[in-house]
Amino acid sequence: MMMRRSATAVLERNVTWSGEFATEPWEAAWAGEAMFFVRRLDGLIAPDSSAVPAPLLRARVQLSPDGIRWIDEGCSLVLNADDEMAFVRVREFGGWLRLAGTVRPGETAKVIAYLSLKE
Amino acid sequence: MNPTHTGPFRPLPDIIYADDFDCGLQGWTGLIGNYEHSLDSILPEYRDLRPPMLSNATTWDTGTGGSATGTYSMKLATRAKSRSLAVGVKRTTYPVACPLQLEMLFTFKPEASQLRLSLADVGAVGIIFDLQDAQRRVMPHLRYLNAINGELAGRWQFKQRSPTFHDIGDSGDTVSHFHLGPDGWQDLPGGDQRLCYNEIATKQNWHYLRVGFDLATMSFTALQCNDRHFDVSTLEPMTMPAMPNLWCMLNVVLFAEASADRRAFFYADSVLLSADFDAAKKDGR
Repeated sequence: MMMRRSATAVLERNVTWSGEFATEPWEAAWAGEAMFFVRRLDGLIAPDSSAVPAPLLRARVQLSPDGIRWIDEGCSLVLNADDEMAFVRVREFGGWLRLAGTVRPGETAKVIAYLSLKE
Repeated sequence: MNPTHTGPFRPLPDIIYADDFDCGLQGWTGLIGNYEHSLDSILPEYRDLRPPMLSNATTWDTGTGGSATGTYSMKLATRAKSRSLAVGVKRTTYPVACPLQLEMLFTFKPEASQLRLSLADVGAVGIIFDLQDAQRRVMPHLRYLNAINGELAGRWQFKQRSPTFHDIGDSGDTVSHFHLGPDGWQDLPGGDQRLCYNEIATKQNWHYLRVGFDLATMSFTALQCNDRHFDVSTLEPMTMPAMPNLWCMLNVVLFAEASADRRAFFYADSVLLSADFDAAKKDGR
């Protein structure tokens, strides 16, 4: 049996996001499936008593035919203020992938972001 | 080793690795600066690096270009920022201190985000060996300086002077030095070379590169790019005292630097590292 090739790229490491953000364009034509992970490296924001999760950041998977112009794929992830990590999975994405999103106004998030690709 | 290897290669008798990126990244990975306790302790110049990716060289106007001998190459991509670096490394050790030869097919281009050739937007592409024997850590540096400050340069350079080492953390076990910066590069005598860029940003021509280095004498033996054979007899590699955990290290580093606020892309179709394990017997060393 042929082993399935796989590769995880660290797209951002120990970077602080605020406002709008987008990861660098990544070529993924060889892969059939992908997962983005975003993990926070700074302290979690303690949940308040309302018990309603508060999104700290939202990010959309984006596709591109050329690595220059981008369009939303439809999948997204939400990292709540009291979560350490969030992910989103995507298939049939063509040649390029990135993650674009927004951090809640007035907040920042120090993160490490991964793209895990598999044939 | 991959079963077939096509290209203009004439390796030495012993193959250390023959990496065809149609078979994956083949152990090439990203460079990270040393750290202790916290990622915040990484030297600033090493913080914003990403690993290599597999590219089929798709462009907006013609579609997929593929690689020189297949579909995929290994791609290093800088940020769209002048002086941004992209670095890939493969880490092995050597079984014999003998002559080495690295051959590869490579090309470089700026991101085709403007409808012009943009040939001065890639600053430099280069190759470094990171080696250690019983006495020394030796880091032969070579780069093709494509452009500087928006002007084409077109010459090969080397770097001999070792930058300052910095203590990382508080244990005394970890140090770091940023040796990939713009300082300290010297022109290779007779090292001017014009490469085939083609005429628009989306046309790539692949170049042949051959670098020879002898682990027994820790000296350069060859530099060939396409039809040019350069005299390396006066080149000295960067040398420093041996470090505690790097014995027999044989790392190869490829890198690219942007010279404009546009992504610089470096592509390697194949990397073939060969050696002559019996060289000492042949020449009576």
